[in-house]
Amino acid sequence: MKLKRVIFGMVGTTLDTGRGPERWERWRPTVSLCQHEDFAVDRLELLYPRQGISLAKQIVADIATISPETEVRLHHVDPRDPWDFEDVYTALHDFASAYEFDEDEEEYLVHITTGTHVAQICLFLLTETRRFPAKLIQSSPKFRTNDPTGDYRIIDLDLSKYDSIAARFQKEFSDNVAGLKSGIETRNGAFNRLIEEVEHVAAHSVDPILLTGPTGAGKSRLARRIYELKKHRRQMEGPFVEVNCATLRGDGAMSTLFGHKKGAFTGAAADRAGLLRSAEGGILFLDEIGELGLDEQAMLLRAVEEKRFLPLGSDEEVTSSFQLIAGTNRDLRARVEAGEFRDDLLARINLWTFCLPALKDRREDIEPNLEFELEQVAKRTGRTVGFNTEAKDAYVRFAMSESATWDGNFRDLSASISRMATLTQTGRITEEVVRAEVARLGISWGRGPRAVSADLCAEVMGSERAAELDRFDRVQLADVLAVCARSKSVSDAGRELFAVSRARKSSVNDADRLRKYLARFGLTWEMISK
Amino acid sequence: MTKPASIQNAKIEIDGAQGEGGGQVLRSSLALSMATGRPFRMHKIRAGRERPGLMRQHLTCVQAAASICNAKVSGDAVGSQEITFEPGDVRPGQYHFPIGTAGSTTMVLQAILPSLLIAKAPSTITVEGGTHNGMAPPFEFFERALLPLLLRAGAVVRARLERHGFYPAGGGRIIVEVDPPRDIQTIEILDRGNRVSASARALLSRVPGSVGERELAVLQRRLGIEPHECSIRGVENSVGPGNALLLHLEYEHITEVFSSIGERAKTSEAVAEELATEARDYIAHKQPIGPHLADQLMVPLALLAGGTYATGPLTQHARTNIEVIQTFGGRVDVEGEHTVKVHPLSIQR
Repeated sequence: MKLKRVIFGMVGTTLDTGRGPERWERWRPTVSLCQHEDFAVDRLELLYPRQGISLAKQIVADIATISPETEVRLHHVDPRDPWDFEDVYTALHDFASAYEFDEDEEEYLVHITTGTHVAQICLFLLTETRRFPAKLIQSSPKFRTNDPTGDYRIIDLDLSKYDSIAARFQKEFSDNVAGLKSGIETRNGAFNRLIEEVEHVAAHSVDPILLTGPTGAGKSRLARRIYELKKHRRQMEGPFVEVNCATLRGDGAMSTLFGHKKGAFTGAAADRAGLLRSAEGGILFLDEIGELGLDEQAMLLRAVEEKRFLPLGSDEEVTSSFQLIAGTNRDLRARVEAGEFRDDLLARINLWTFCLPALKDRREDIEPNLEFELEQVAKRTGRTVGFNTEAKDAYVRFAMSESATWDGNFRDLSASISRMATLTQTGRITEEVVRAEVARLGISWGRGPRAVSADLCAEVMGSERAAELDRFDRVQLADVLAVCARSKSVSDAGRELFAVSRARKSSVNDADRLRKYLARFGLTWEMISK
Repeated sequence: MTKPASIQNAKIEIDGAQGEGGGQVLRSSLALSMATGRPFRMHKIRAGRERPGLMRQHLTCVQAAASICNAKVSGDAVGSQEITFEPGDVRPGQYHFPIGTAGSTTMVLQAILPSLLIAKAPSTITVEGGTHNGMAPPFEFFERALLPLLLRAGAVVRARLERHGFYPAGGGRIIVEVDPPRDIQTIEILDRGNRVSASARALLSRVPGSVGERELAVLQRRLGIEPHECSIRGVENSVGPGNALLLHLEYEHITEVFSSIGERAKTSEAVAEELATEARDYIAHKQPIGPHLADQLMVPLALLAGGTYATGPLTQHARTNIEVIQTFGGRVDVEGEHTVKVHPLSIQR
């Protein structure tokens, strides 16, 4: 008994279009599926979004002409947002659940060539998980021929040779879920809108983009995502070049950015291309652009406007075409008024300005990002770590509360998760670990922005030496350092640290005791108090 | 005289890879099986091809044939390399066959028409699909070259083209009316006589007029066709774009039709050159029947009263047809280099 062949597919709102007779000369995936001499389709279940109804009807009519043996059934499937994974997945999942599959009589194929890439990936996943008991069919135009019918390929995901494809789709899925949100899921409407705008601008403009927002809000990550998006769309072939302007000083700044000729200054032993030229055809991300010196600003303006500039010590201009993304956590207008930033440069880079909100202004995004951060840890360390339910509740409760100021924004969150993941041994983050972490965070924010970032031990000792500490010591030292950091003097710190024994009068010289403790780690009060 | 049932019902074995090894073996076998009532089994269908087995256009032929004679069929699936076909009685009447993939309407007729030619009641067959395909006779060949000869042999068939269908959109429609045969007779076409007229026509559907002009210019240059014998016809009602170049050569005793089909990215000159080359060969060998007519005539003549005709060198298609006809108990003699003699097949039904 020959099984009936049934194909599920989405209307391709771009690829399947065409009204005039010339449409027959083009490869249209859905129509072409039914045009193969060696491949008969008994039924096509065609899914269309509301605005695609007339196109869907056109496809039905065309298939009736070139494949009269094919029955086409139309299904209105309309995710609220066709670019949102959850919406699309839910809509397709509901469709598959409601569909009455009859595997004794029919064989099924899922066509993954049409629809948004979001829909394609969701169809893939639903097929892989057997929500559609089907094989995949992928169609493609036939290159170097004039035959509009194209080619097709059937992929049986149960065959292990397709494991790599499965892996690729899975990755694409996670990449896309993360999307431009720099791997950050978001429930914050304003942030979502911002990201959509950025995506739109990134796709359509080569003008400079200015990203503002506090330290750690994700400017650097967003810049990189814009680059990846453009590269993925083949709008860009050059590299992503990133530099923090706060690290550029003096002659070095000029030469780092614009390059130099051999002998331009002492130590210029060879020609240097400079970052602007390295970014040719790509994106130059200048973080903390407010820190750039006035001379560099002038040169940069010319480079942005005219795509040409003069390397240090050279009398010949060079050219470089790149897209500039600038980041700043400063109010550049105030810098202009203070005479520290050129207003013409600000005007030039201020065309597209996006302000990334501080984490405390989008607290609802903290919870969804916990998983993401844990995955990052897992990727880095190869160790899977998760919260137990109570611990997660406790952490989220704290994270959402007003007392969590998240001064370092995502950098804080990232460091915090990383610390807890490091400190847990079983792979489960417990309430106890969370309690200690909450205390640590409170302390770091209590002192102000400087101590905001990572593990205090690493900050003071360097991460390599800190890594050599036993957990036992590390926790203790971190707490000691935190107290030291907010204390005015070694005696103040000692008083706080040894308050209990002091009350029992069992210790007389707290400061000395603290110095000795620090010395065990090669630390002095002077080192940590600066 | 009726053959013993055992022989009558024994399936004829046909090697689907013999001769030209494509759809022709199948179409001729279907036509002969329907007409003679002899079942057949065909194996190695299109063996050795890049995509072996039945393609959709072949399957359409099988299904159309089966529906006309109520046949029992097995293996009728795309890609199948073996089928069996056990015909019942041919039932003349009204039929409608839509063909997918802009498949050739005239090829389907090749399979189903012969048995209806000799039926005792009239039929009307509507076939939808491609009417002007590359690799298949166009409607004009069918109507103007083949049908007049069949009429001489006693088969009464009228055909009209309702809508043109070009690859890949298809959507063409032809309607064929068949009356029971009258005055069946053996025909003899050994001489074409003098040329009476020539007419070249470029059919254009949503294709620039210059395409037709360039094609016709080539025919004028290569074949000496006069400008007044050339015409361009715009086709208004076809579903998709297309272009066909046709040449009718009318002689005292025969009309031949040559054709070439335009394709994307094939120059108009190349399209016309193909036709010109074929037509020159025909004109040069001075025989009345061209290569396509030579093989298309064979099965109908075998089912009517036979005939003798002179043609050019036999094509692979024609040789394949001879083998298939002989497999079904018929006989075709090739006399000398140019003469084909088709003997009537005895039909017990």
